[in-house]
Amino acid sequence: MNLEELPDKARIVFETIRGRRSIREYIDREIPLEYLKLIVEAGLWAPSASNLQPREFILIKDKDLLRAVKLVSPGLSGNPAAIIVLCIDREKASKGGRMGETMALLDVATSLQNMMLMAYALGIGSCPIASFDKLALKTILDIPEHVEPVLLLSLGYPKRWPQPPPRKNVDEVLHVDGW
Amino acid sequence: MLMDGKKLLYDKYFELLSFLITSARGLFNEPEIYGPLRLVETAEKLLEIMEEESISNRELVELKKYIHENIDTVLYGEEEFKKFLDEVVKRLALIIRSEVKRN
Ligand SMILES: Cc1cc2nc3c(=O)[nH]c(=O)nc-3n(C[C@H](O)[C@H](O)[C@H](O)COP(=O)(O)O)c2cc1C
Repeated sequence: MNLEELPDKARIVFETIRGRRSIREYIDREIPLEYLKLIVEAGLWAPSASNLQPREFILIKDKDLLRAVKLVSPGLSGNPAAIIVLCIDREKASKGGRMGETMALLDVATSLQNMMLMAYALGIGSCPIASFDKLALKTILDIPEHVEPVLLLSLGYPKRWPQPPPRKNVDEVLHVDGW
Repeated sequence: MLMDGKKLLYDKYFELLSFLITSARGLFNEPEIYGPLRLVETAEKLLEIMEEESISNRELVELKKYIHENIDTVLYGEEEFKKFLDEVVKRLALIIRSEVKRN
């Protein structure tokens, strides 16, 4: 598909989606608080199963705390200016029935993507991180028992935008009108 | 010697120690390929420490740079990552060989 033929909005959305990269090297520059809040707000506008919105977010900006989180997160590369911990509140998720927790995880995923795209549109790099120690993180940040940290999102101005890791072709994975 | 809390937080050995402990626990739940990944990441961190402490030479600095620039191959699949690790091993072996030959 020739992107130039698309209406502006569609082209910009697609280019934003395609251009976002996971960033693992950051420059030493702070992110304004209003940008960080806007990124979280973008996360809140993501769809949510039954609109239960069992998501909670912890913003980490303090230098020592950033360092502490890095120490217990083998999957976290570089020195981000901020980290947002995406959590689910198990009590709220349980209102979603037996599938409540699975749906809550999907809710976190929809938020995550919105947040990364918002950050990218602001010139801010991000990287989702699943490789962190939950027990250590809960201890360091005093996260209550019923709240589960699911993912970290590191944020900062990138040292560089890396080459995209390879993607599958649409025709490889798309099955039209049945398998 | 005891250090105050903050110094420990930023100490490079403490960082390596934390990386090793949390990786050990994390690897129970992670893809198999993350085992070699965490080890070669440890190697990179160790090379960094060696450089800071002047236990290094040009070849080791280059080895660290090579690891840093190519570790992303883990995202390109097992074969690519294995090739990268083979190259790291080869470079290490050359360093060892030249050390043996040095009199
Ligand atoms: C759920 C999830 C967990 C991830 N965990 C990590 C992680 O722990 N460390 C890391 O460096 N990247 C992590 N990533 C980033 C992926 O490696 C990255 O998205 C993938 O290689 C594609 O690259 P791109 O985001 O630049 O398109 C994670 C991504 C997702 C969606």
